[in-house]
Amino acid sequence: MNIFLLCGLVCFSALAITMHNLLKSAICLGVASIFLAVLFFRMGAPYAGVFEVSIVAGLITVLFITTIVLTKREGGVKERKLTNIFFLLFFIIFIMIDFFVMKGFIGNLPNMPVGSPNLAENNNFSKVLWQYRTLDLVGQICAIFAGVFSVLALFRADKKENNNE
Amino acid sequence: MSNHWLLNMGFAAALLFIGIFCLLTMKNLIKLLIGIEIMAKGITLALITSGVERHNVMVTQSLVITFIVIEVSLLATALALIINIYRHTKSLSISKLTNLKG
Amino acid sequence: MTNGEGELLFVFIVLPLVVAGIMPLIGKLSKKVVPDILTNLTTFFLLAYSIIVGKQIIFSGIYTTKFSWFGEPMNISLTLDGFSLLMLVTISIVSFCVTLFSIDYMEHYGHKANYYSLLLIMIAGMNGLVLSTDLFSIYVFLEVAAIASYGLVAYGLGHNELEASFKYLMLSAVASGFIVLGISIIFACTGSLTFSEVAIGIHLVNAKYLVGFCAALFLMGFGLKAALVPFHAWLPDAHPSAPAPISAMLSGVLIKVSGAYAIIRIFLNVFGLTYALSTVLMYLGLISIFVGAIIAIGQNDMKRMLAYSSISQIGYIFIGIGTGSPLGILGGLFHILNHAVFKSLLFLNSGAIEQATGTRELDKMGGLAKQMPLTATTNAIGSLSVAGIPPFNGFWSKLLIIIALVQTQHYAFAVLAVLGSVITLWYYLIIQRNAFFGKPEEIWKNVKEAPFWMSCATVILALLCIVIGVTFPFVIKTFLVPATDILASGVSYLYNFLGY
Repeated sequence: MNIFLLCGLVCFSALAITMHNLLKSAICLGVASIFLAVLFFRMGAPYAGVFEVSIVAGLITVLFITTIVLTKREGGVKERKLTNIFFLLFFIIFIMIDFFVMKGFIGNLPNMPVGSPNLAENNNFSKVLWQYRTLDLVGQICAIFAGVFSVLALFRADKKENNNE
Repeated sequence: MSNHWLLNMGFAAALLFIGIFCLLTMKNLIKLLIGIEIMAKGITLALITSGVERHNVMVTQSLVITFIVIEVSLLATALALIINIYRHTKSLSISKLTNLKG
Repeated sequence: MTNGEGELLFVFIVLPLVVAGIMPLIGKLSKKVVPDILTNLTTFFLLAYSIIVGKQIIFSGIYTTKFSWFGEPMNISLTLDGFSLLMLVTISIVSFCVTLFSIDYMEHYGHKANYYSLLLIMIAGMNGLVLSTDLFSIYVFLEVAAIASYGLVAYGLGHNELEASFKYLMLSAVASGFIVLGISIIFACTGSLTFSEVAIGIHLVNAKYLVGFCAALFLMGFGLKAALVPFHAWLPDAHPSAPAPISAMLSGVLIKVSGAYAIIRIFLNVFGLTYALSTVLMYLGLISIFVGAIIAIGQNDMKRMLAYSSISQIGYIFIGIGTGSPLGILGGLFHILNHAVFKSLLFLNSGAIEQATGTRELDKMGGLAKQMPLTATTNAIGSLSVAGIPPFNGFWSKLLIIIALVQTQHYAFAVLAVLGSVITLWYYLIIQRNAFFGKPEEIWKNVKEAPFWMSCATVILALLCIVIGVTFPFVIKTFLVPATDILASGVSYLYNFLGY
């Protein structure tokens, strides 16, 4: 079952870059995220799955579509015609290389000792996030601040114009 | 290490390849950002699968959440930049961005 | 090792963050004066505080802090050792001078409060990166500093600024992608992310290829952030396009913290410096020195020339670290400090000239020494220092690197490093001659000396160049030897850390 989800994920990602219509490729990207989210649920990472659906498939797709609409669809860009053919060609070559490299690794992978995991599987998620990765939460706050202030800085010019009008 | 990890890493590598190919060949600025998003998907897949491998998926889950939050603020900045560039050049083509030569 | 209960080190991250958060509110009340005062007080406090904390470190060793909040145990573990302290002091010095300079310089950009918020978040990100003890936190804070810097590079909102910022963002995002991929493979190998456990895990696990692959990913990722030569394409666009104080910040500290610090910390302390790795670092350093220096000669834009010069000087840092001998590491670290001081001085001076004359083209300037004597003097000090002329600080770090190269029998590298230094002197003389000396041009008759606060910042940095140069044995003994000890002891430093 997982293998179909993985294939669906890669197919939709490939579609997202081969589509000529930007709106369609943004939606393909959203669909690919949903595949990834289902995969996360099946791998036992439900919270990551929820974030993937709500933020990546939801918020990021909305942001993309807003930008595409604001910039009048294509913005007058024609991609090179050969790009898609090249993409297929290189992609098939890459998949073959990928397959053989991975096949070469089967059986040759080192056996990892189960070192000293800080937290066992049965610990609940909120404890891990709040007590083991607290510094990352501070980092998240910093990142959100940085994003907000950058966007404010980039859009400050039109504010001034509006005030003048 | 198990073969599941290997399989998932193989698919993550395929996603990374798609993203980097997109960055190298595409001309539309929004398409480039879509390429970066595809790379980010590959990386989240790699993180979660590593967690499953070490029977420690809760930790990687929290890492993925942090990663997604950072990705969103990066994307917001990038889209704001694109809208500003569009106002200047009235186009989304990367060939209009050739004033500076690295 | 000291374990603190309090929030001693956490202040370095939280204070700039909180001040950045309340800055827009204050900006509503008072457009200029209060944000200026508040930001400068913050950076001055951080500078003073880093020196006060540093004094404790020097006397009592490594300091780690873990604390609880409202009775809930929270795992925020920050570590301050000699190397982090060196970087922390460097960040604080440069950011203090930069905020001082911004008081006058940023007047015509408008929306100062917003600018200061971004700058403070960048400082918070860099402080967090330097203090954090695990791989993923390094990535998180690196990205915080990077996102703030995209906004700052594009702050002028002109066509060039936007273009440079967009290119920078694209390349940087790919670099972060590589870094996180490396982190995930490391996690799959060792099941942990903290430096000490990863260091032990890597040596227990018999996975040479996977670890080598991770090292390559980290080298690409952090090498791009540090602008080592095959990955340098973004720097000459991004650094000149930013406002001058930000160029000083990016060139002076950001490339060193997010690139050099991370590479040195991870490769020397966590992975352990192998022969192959040290050879790669030395060759990358050598190529960077020459590519940067040779392209710099041909530039006409002053800030672009300085940006290429940064690539060249980063090369010296890596060539010193790559030798792996204690003396080489000492030289490399000393060069990090020195480069931060004189490169930010030169970028600030270029900003002063740009504000006075409205141009950055070297062949349009001329004879500015009469009108701007202070800027001319400080610029001369900076130039001589970067070129490695004896009494100034740049000479001693380059000398140490070259002695280390000779000691480890890399004679060819030593000769080429000296040659690189001569080329550096050449293009800095071009700046001095074209900008300040030569016959005075008529159009620059009414040019005035830079305003008070701008001159104040450049004079502080120029004095530092001289003071560090004259008292270099003291500086080396107090700041650099503890840092070098930690790096030279390699992986065993982290073993001790866990009590193994």
